[in-house]
Amino acid sequence: MESPRKQRWQQLQSVFEPGFKKMLLISVLLHLLVPILYYSPFFPKRAIEKPPVYRVNLVNKIVKNPQAGRPEAAPVKKKAVVKPQPKPQPKPEPKPVVIPKPIPPKPKPEPVKPKPKPPAPKPEPKPEPIKVKPQPKPEPKPAVSQAQENSLQQRLEQMRAAQERKASEQARKDKIAALKAAALAESNKITSPITDAPVGVLDGKGDEAGVSAVAYVQEFIQQQWSFAKYQAAGNPEAEVKMFYSAEGTLLHYKFEKKSGNNAFDESLTRAIVKSKQLDQTLPEAMEFHIFFNLKDMMDKP
Amino acid sequence: MKYFKANLFIILILLFLGSTAFAARIEISAPGEQTIPLAMPRLVSMGVGSVQPAVAAEFQQVLQGDLELSGLFDLVNPASFLSDAQKLGLRRTDIDFQQWRILGAETLIKGGYSVSSGQVTVELRLFDVITQRLLTGRRYTGKLADIRKIAHTFADQILLSLTGEKGPFATKIAYISKRTGHKELYLMDVDGHQSKQMTNHRSIVLNPDFSPMRKELIFTSYSKDNPDLYRKEVYTGRESRLSLKQGLNIGGRYSPDGREIAITLSKDKNSEIYLIGTDGTIHKRLTNHYSIDVDPSWSPKGNKIAFVSDRRGNPNVFIVDIRTLEVSRLTYEGKYNVTPAWSPKGDKIAFSRMVDGVFNIFTIREDGTDERQLTFGSGSKEHPRWSPDGRFLIYSVDQSGGDKSIWVMRADGTGAKRISAPRSNDSHPAWSGRW
Repeated sequence: MESPRKQRWQQLQSVFEPGFKKMLLISVLLHLLVPILYYSPFFPKRAIEKPPVYRVNLVNKIVKNPQAGRPEAAPVKKKAVVKPQPKPQPKPEPKPVVIPKPIPPKPKPEPVKPKPKPPAPKPEPKPEPIKVKPQPKPEPKPAVSQAQENSLQQRLEQMRAAQERKASEQARKDKIAALKAAALAESNKITSPITDAPVGVLDGKGDEAGVSAVAYVQEFIQQQWSFAKYQAAGNPEAEVKMFYSAEGTLLHYKFEKKSGNNAFDESLTRAIVKSKQLDQTLPEAMEFHIFFNLKDMMDKP
Repeated sequence: MKYFKANLFIILILLFLGSTAFAARIEISAPGEQTIPLAMPRLVSMGVGSVQPAVAAEFQQVLQGDLELSGLFDLVNPASFLSDAQKLGLRRTDIDFQQWRILGAETLIKGGYSVSSGQVTVELRLFDVITQRLLTGRRYTGKLADIRKIAHTFADQILLSLTGEKGPFATKIAYISKRTGHKELYLMDVDGHQSKQMTNHRSIVLNPDFSPMRKELIFTSYSKDNPDLYRKEVYTGRESRLSLKQGLNIGGRYSPDGREIAITLSKDKNSEIYLIGTDGTIHKRLTNHYSIDVDPSWSPKGNKIAFVSDRRGNPNVFIVDIRTLEVSRLTYEGKYNVTPAWSPKGDKIAFSRMVDGVFNIFTIREDGTDERQLTFGSGSKEHPRWSPDGRFLIYSVDQSGGDKSIWVMRADGTGAKRISAPRSNDSHPAWSGRW
């Protein structure tokens, strides 16, 4: 007398078509094969590049017809636009890194040429140092060639160097992120005493909340300019013409008049180089005739 | 064809005029940052000889102290340095400027050192991070003990490169100290280190001044009972009495060309200002008044002398023209203005003023305008003297507890810092010329 369970199974089996089990097995294997193949080196994966994030300070937004107001009315006085955070770096060819597996040395007589592996293309959130598993002790097979061993060693060295590079790069990114966070925290502490003042420019006659391109460029270049009053001698003045494209890129600049004070003129060159890309686009390509002097700095006691 | 050329010319003219007509005019009358962001990674061993981190540390500390005093720089926090800080990088192509730019640095000091058989070699470079240019570079070789001097010398070089004028850090300060129980003459570096006793008169030594031409000093000493003027050569130690007139021979000051000395003499029972030669002979009497005239200080052109006189009742600063002997009053405010020191640039005269029993340092222009108080707070600040480049002032502070010390500050009164050792009882500083 067979158990009811076994009887039910026999009933089910009678319903199956012949060869069903084989088909089921093949199906499962095929389903397994898909992810294995997907993650294999034969299907290189492109790292998904996040689109750059722009933070726009609407208070200092460039508008065509700025209203009358005070440009410094921004709640937090800082640069109008923050550059896209992580600048997408030119990445090497998106070949995935092959994690070294313990390859048992095969007795192939021909010498294998070492292939340089590119560094890891995908920045991982937390780069845990990939531990290279200890090589299983090669069985004492006398057929292992010296060339093959050397090639293996070279590949391991390259892998290690790549990992170290990756780790140092990550450490650098972490440091920069920490510095940026500290700077942001510091700037957030600053509160404007005139938060409810109208936003605009002093001589604004329009009706848009924002600043004119001229006021924006003036502030931007001024912020890039570093010069200590202890460098100053006399009252140096210089005139520079700067040509910007509508995209905010400096196309050309020319010193119309140098001050004659080398330190002063060099500080202006540094400011110009730092201003070669504005944080905002301009309404159109524009030319600026800028007069640099130290009137406001030297008048202070 | 001719018609086409004429048209083209007119179009070009119009384009040019059009382009200039629409140029927006902007005036920027102050920089956004009033200091230069500077990164200064520690010296790296150049791989020759032994590695001595103490050498690099001492160099770093001295150079940093000088550059901070200059007020020119905002030093980037070393904790934020990236991998390039560990590299030697003496050539611009070896430096990852992008790393330094990320940190906000605009200038960068890179350097390496090597120590071999007691000799240290230091290679130093100053780079402009933004334009990626070498601004200045030097290679110094000396004894291990010279590392501080090397740092001071390179600090001077950095200031020359960034301002067009050399710094005063590799110079010397002479001062009077009572640390042995007697007031003796000492010499030290600008940062207060390398102090060295110069006299052993076991008496009272006062008012030192450096010769602008030679490595020698003049000072007043009571060692022969009378306050006589002495001259001392720094390196040989040779000493001689220069002026031994009866009465006071005090406040001697070399003229800018080093050929004459302005001094207070009281040989005629009343203290007056005289010019004497470097052999001690009197060349000219500059003041002739029944009041007390003391503390002469030369203008940098050598044609005028500021001095203190009580000819109007209270001690005030006056100026005498050496050629015409015409005397004009400089200070009117306050009731007690003393120890004038004319800036080597000629634009200001520093002096001490007593208000409510406490002295403070002030500056004033030669025409009596733009008077500014530079020091505040407790303790009397006296005896101001200028650095040879006019960037800094050195002075003595007498705290109410009896602690006398020497301080240095920028010419605008900022960045004041004590340079003399604690409880050393130092006063009357004088700053040397280029050493």
